[in-house]
Amino acid sequence: MFSYFIRRLFFVIFVAWGVTFATFFIANVVPIDPAIAALGDNAREEQIREFRERYGLDKPIWQQYLIYMGRLLSGDLGNSLRTQRAVAEDLREFFPATLELSVAAFLVTVLLGVPAGILAALRQNRASDVVVRILALIGGATPVFFLAVLLQYVLARQLDLLPVQGRLDGFSFPPPRVTGLMGLDALLARDWAVFVDSLRHLVLPAFVLGMFSAAILARMTRATMLEVLSQDYIRTARAKGVPGRVVVFRHALKNASLPVLTLLGGLLGGLLSGAVLTETIFSWPGIGRYVTQSATSLDFPAVMGVTLLVGLVYALINLLVDLLYAFLDPRIRYA
Amino acid sequence: MKLIKAVGLLIALGLGSALAQDRTQTLIYGGDWSDLITMDPQVSYEFSGGLVTDNLYETLVKYEGTDLSTLKPGLAESWKVDRGRDTWDITFRLRRGSKFSSGNEVTAKDVVYTFERALAIKGPGSFLFTEIAQLKPGATKAVDNYTVVVSIPKTASPGSFLSILTFNIGGIVDSETVQKNAKGNDFGKEWLTNNSAGSGPFRLVRWDRGSQVLLEANPNARIKPKLQRVILREIKEPAVLRTALESGEIDIAEGLTPEALRALSGNPRFRTLKADSLRLNYLGMNVKEGSPFANKLVRDAVRYSINQDELVNGLVQGNGTKIQTLIPKGLLGYDPRTPYTFDPARAKRLLAQAGYPNGLEFELLVSTGICGGGIPCADIAAKIQSDLAKGGFKANVKAIANAEVLRTYRAQNHQMVLVGWSPDFPDPDGNATPWADFNARSLAWRNVWNDPTAIRLANQAALETEPTKRVALYRLLTDYVLKNGPYAVLYQPAVPLGLSAKVEGYVRNAQGQVRFENISKQP
Repeated sequence: MFSYFIRRLFFVIFVAWGVTFATFFIANVVPIDPAIAALGDNAREEQIREFRERYGLDKPIWQQYLIYMGRLLSGDLGNSLRTQRAVAEDLREFFPATLELSVAAFLVTVLLGVPAGILAALRQNRASDVVVRILALIGGATPVFFLAVLLQYVLARQLDLLPVQGRLDGFSFPPPRVTGLMGLDALLARDWAVFVDSLRHLVLPAFVLGMFSAAILARMTRATMLEVLSQDYIRTARAKGVPGRVVVFRHALKNASLPVLTLLGGLLGGLLSGAVLTETIFSWPGIGRYVTQSATSLDFPAVMGVTLLVGLVYALINLLVDLLYAFLDPRIRYA
Repeated sequence: MKLIKAVGLLIALGLGSALAQDRTQTLIYGGDWSDLITMDPQVSYEFSGGLVTDNLYETLVKYEGTDLSTLKPGLAESWKVDRGRDTWDITFRLRRGSKFSSGNEVTAKDVVYTFERALAIKGPGSFLFTEIAQLKPGATKAVDNYTVVVSIPKTASPGSFLSILTFNIGGIVDSETVQKNAKGNDFGKEWLTNNSAGSGPFRLVRWDRGSQVLLEANPNARIKPKLQRVILREIKEPAVLRTALESGEIDIAEGLTPEALRALSGNPRFRTLKADSLRLNYLGMNVKEGSPFANKLVRDAVRYSINQDELVNGLVQGNGTKIQTLIPKGLLGYDPRTPYTFDPARAKRLLAQAGYPNGLEFELLVSTGICGGGIPCADIAAKIQSDLAKGGFKANVKAIANAEVLRTYRAQNHQMVLVGWSPDFPDPDGNATPWADFNARSLAWRNVWNDPTAIRLANQAALETEPTKRVALYRLLTDYVLKNGPYAVLYQPAVPLGLSAKVEGYVRNAQGQVRFENISKQP
């Protein structure tokens, strides 16, 4: 188990290095000058020259890469050209919002997807199965921006139930920043009103973001459950007279959970990196919005910082899934 | 549906305590503030930065309302410009009793510190002091507690300098507080990025990057605001901006689409506004040797080919005004004449005269992004292309990233380019010098237009201190550039805004300044 862990860990490090290498060179083959992008049309020649020197943009690309890697190894992600702060500082500021949103969306995914999938499998080809399958099809096919605008229109503008933007109402005062997670910080400050307010703001974006993966998960759970339910040991269990509930939840679900677990890992990573559009539509100040703004202003260090962070989280989630997998099914380790 | 409403109501009731504070005392202003980098007045050079610092700091002189041509007293109750031997000496008399948010009184030493600080920090806007005003370290002197003399060389324009002082960089900081929070030699730059030390009607309470800026009434300020709190909410997406305004989450929405503006204008709960900007969208023509545009007849043919009325009324949908001269409406010296009318027959004649009887083909460079007034640049380019075709031109539109457009433009590698320009400070010189003076290495230089008459007029007008004479000089200059310059000015974009009908006293000038102290909210 330990050597397996070490091997996987090396893989994570390799992936991280690959991410920095790929993003750095892709970012730098773009034949556009980041100094002009950052300073705009009114900038003077001296300002542009100074900017290039300050950020090392006047050096050859391989030197820039060496400088970047050197800094990276000491934990320095460089400075953002747009916000003119350390990228690490920006990530600390924006990542918690994305994490909060992704975790909430993940909950939506699991709480909607798994029960719907199980229900559909148990009632195969009956009305509830058809409903789940149609909903899953719609959920998987509806673009995020369409669903978002639709829900904003109905729930916010027509019914006036939920807010459409931001993490908090303008009239409630944000809690002191401890973790950066608005709900948790409100709880730490024992500010119930702000806590409720932050939850209200979380509902729509989390639902919109989680909907797509919930649909995929429901289909996957259904398929896996159906497969497991048709196995011999299930039939044997039923024949022995084991109660239906026990068959489903102890025998079938446990065995169906392995492929679902792999999918969940991928989905969580996808939620983290896929929050870009949702954050933009809901004015959610996370790294998704940060990275789009950085990309449009050719802020390479910021884009690379976000990519590296998301890549690392992705790889770590995968590592965790692999470990869990190996723990649940010892045969995996030797594969 | 009833159940949903009931649950919603319960949740809303649970929020009761949060909403207990008076909503009429808080203004929530939504817009795209993503260019906010710092709250330090001597460093900030962005539009949003200016919007905020303008309410945190006072300047010696200022503009009021939408008038950007008459200076009004700010921290200085009076000022005068004296002609010294080699310098202009500008004496400011400070009013007594102005206080910073710390409670310290604003005195001459704060002014000296602020100006020296601006020179030492070398922020993105420092060229306004060092190059335009040619201000040197040590040239600002405190005569007594309430008198400051600033000396600038005779080659600089005192008019420009005074107008630069109304900008962020002229925001007077509390020298004592700033020095206390300075780290090493940074003149408090790091601290002022996230904090305020001004005498303006508001002080900075909190800035959640990418999300919101919270301002609160400055208890020590001389100017008392009508509101207790102002919140700037960052909303980039125009559709969300509109929904947030309609659902009451924000009171003001800046940067709406023409469609949203039209929809809101029919609703009595809202008011719409098209605020002026100082931006000009124009075509730049490269007149370097060998270029067809080096011939003045060809440039004239271009100007006669453009159906500007159709462009402004149809495509821009009123989110901008027609203009042909180089000083935007709102500044001293604005020239409202529009002598170039759509006349394709005349354009063809001019082209033939210039030696292109069979027409002329060239490349028109545009950005893939959005141009002033919220219109995609590519749409404007398509309109220009079809107009020019009627005048005998074949424009091949090349749409590329804005930064790439600018890079090509700066390298003088374009034939014709569609871009915009905003002056760096609200004075006609902020346009005249870049547009007319080849030696300033700005727009005239990029279009390789080296014209001694234009250069002389621009320099002369900049140094003129007598307003009527100055206006007369700009009249000559704008007319000269209109007929001879390498530009075809298209329109001056407006900034579309939607406001809750409860908001009163909102005014946005063309420089983008909004004085929050004058705004109030009805219950």
